[in-house]
Amino acid sequence: MDQSTTGTKKILCIEDEHFIGELYERALNKAGYQVTLEVDGARGLALAQKDEYDIILLDLMVPTMTGIEVLRALRDPAKTPHLKAKVIIITNLEQREDVRADIEKQADGYIVKAEITPHELVDLLNNIN
Amino acid sequence: MDHISRLIRQSKLSLFIALLIDNLILVGGWWLLNHILKLSAPELIIFLTVLALAETALFATALGSFLMQPIKAIWQVIVHLSPSEHGVAAPQPASLKFGRELVTNLSAQVYQLATIADRAQPATTAAAPAVVNKSFVANNLPLPLFVLDETETILFANEAAAKYIGQPTTELKGKNIYMVLDMAFPSESTLDQWLKKAKEQNATASMSWERVRLSVLDNHPTRLFDLAAYYNKGNPNHYETMLVLFDHTQEYSQDEQAVSFIALSVHELRTPLTLLRGYIEAFEDEMGGKLSPELNDFMQKMSATAQQLTAFVSNILNVARIDDDQLQLELREEDWSETLKSAIDGINLRAKVRGIELECTIAPDLPKVGIDHLSIREVVSNIIDNAIKYSGDSKLIRIDAHMTPDGLVETTVQDFGMGIPESVIPNLFTKFYRDHRNRAQIGGTGLGLYLSKAIVTAHGGNIWVRSKEGGGSTFGFTILPYTRLAEEQKNSDNKDIVRSPHGWIKNHSLYRR
Repeated sequence: MDQSTTGTKKILCIEDEHFIGELYERALNKAGYQVTLEVDGARGLALAQKDEYDIILLDLMVPTMTGIEVLRALRDPAKTPHLKAKVIIITNLEQREDVRADIEKQADGYIVKAEITPHELVDLLNNIN
Repeated sequence: MDHISRLIRQSKLSLFIALLIDNLILVGGWWLLNHILKLSAPELIIFLTVLALAETALFATALGSFLMQPIKAIWQVIVHLSPSEHGVAAPQPASLKFGRELVTNLSAQVYQLATIADRAQPATTAAAPAVVNKSFVANNLPLPLFVLDETETILFANEAAAKYIGQPTTELKGKNIYMVLDMAFPSESTLDQWLKKAKEQNATASMSWERVRLSVLDNHPTRLFDLAAYYNKGNPNHYETMLVLFDHTQEYSQDEQAVSFIALSVHELRTPLTLLRGYIEAFEDEMGGKLSPELNDFMQKMSATAQQLTAFVSNILNVARIDDDQLQLELREEDWSETLKSAIDGINLRAKVRGIELECTIAPDLPKVGIDHLSIREVVSNIIDNAIKYSGDSKLIRIDAHMTPDGLVETTVQDFGMGIPESVIPNLFTKFYRDHRNRAQIGGTGLGLYLSKAIVTAHGGNIWVRSKEGGGSTFGFTILPYTRLAEEQKNSDNKDIVRSPHGWIKNHSLYRR
């Protein structure tokens, strides 16, 4: 990506599977992104609410707060007054219908981790509008 | 339950009393005629015989046919549904035919009872037990019951129906049935389609469905039931359609729990797969240029195998969804050439590591198609994967996309491998079916074609195979141009077609939403 015009994009990756976080961080760093890894849902939310990130990768099964709870808090103006980041759900778990409906309304993307490699993730994020 | 048994006892008692009265009239009549009118013996006998026959016929018809028969049918069904309370052995649940017949029969009988009871009201005779009227029977029927008029508006809903839906009967009356019952049917045959057809073609018709899914109020769990419907054109009371619901939520949701188990297993499989694919890729990144051709080949094979496993895991999940009527597709306007090429790219590595070339010809100017991008990719991937598996020593697979004479977009995948014997072709699209000859040599589960068929069918297309033993096989499937699909969707209310996301990003060219 052209960093002279866009600056270094900041990504917050809330993912409790350490190895997956490591793989994503490596691939994204190589592509010029600045990555912050967080394994805990509540701490991840607090970081996200600082509104310093361009993209938030959010796993649904994370400790202390589930990804869905984090997502809902990020979309609740009372809890998160402003959020510039695109929120992309990353998961390997199939969703119940009600949760799926929430994700569709509130998230900017939904990715099944097993279906893509770290390179493919980078390609997708590079082309986010 | 007690109401019904009491009803039957009362009916029997009424019959007994009615016959007693009948006999008393006869004896009294005989005494009257003999002593007052002083008819001659032959005249008396003829007169009394005619009177007796007429009365007997009247009572037999009124009580036996009109009243007892529907009650008996209800009784049968209740015994059928609740064997434990009565100590009567229930019919085998496995004998579906009996169940369906009974269900359909019941709706007709209840209908008959309701309408006859109504007609019988003004002409109440000693023979008609006062308790047998529509509201009593229908209200106490322990099954949800709806009566609809010509416009599918609810004229009557019993207490069981109100309880089932969680709204009072007064709220239900006057509403359109589809507003009250948000039903999803497991196949393309739906209540509204059947009703539409019945209205066009039949004076009376009956039908039953299994595993209908009902979304009720927000805080209620989904319900699953069998539905029986009876249609009667031009009923004087406007009781045109009658619906009876048989709840099976508990039984059917056990299957749903099986799906949850599968979903959880899939998650457990996907996490290591994500890592495996990620590390293989990282390894290729670092080592790609430095490896010997042989090791490079190993690396590609590892990668292809991990991909194959990912596809298989996804297949398992989708088959579970199909079996549970939860496969959801979202059909959108897409460029077929692009979709097909990208699907072929996705499986190319698997072909390459086996030394197989995928040769693709796409007719120019294909119209835009109406597809669920990700599901159709799975169809293409499954069919090509199949061709790869059964190619034997042959190293070419030909893929061709073109228009059919009847205006559909057809895609064929031809291999030049071992072919399929004619006798097994009808079974190919069945779940878990695999050609017995090859079981030992060729891996697979027999899910791919089953899944492909379900997906293609949900797209409104068709899947087929042409094969000769030893002469290779050609699999083909059709999909609809978007304009045609849009037209068909406009004309039907098919709620089966929705979506199955493997991933999406809003406003993104690849993961569109």
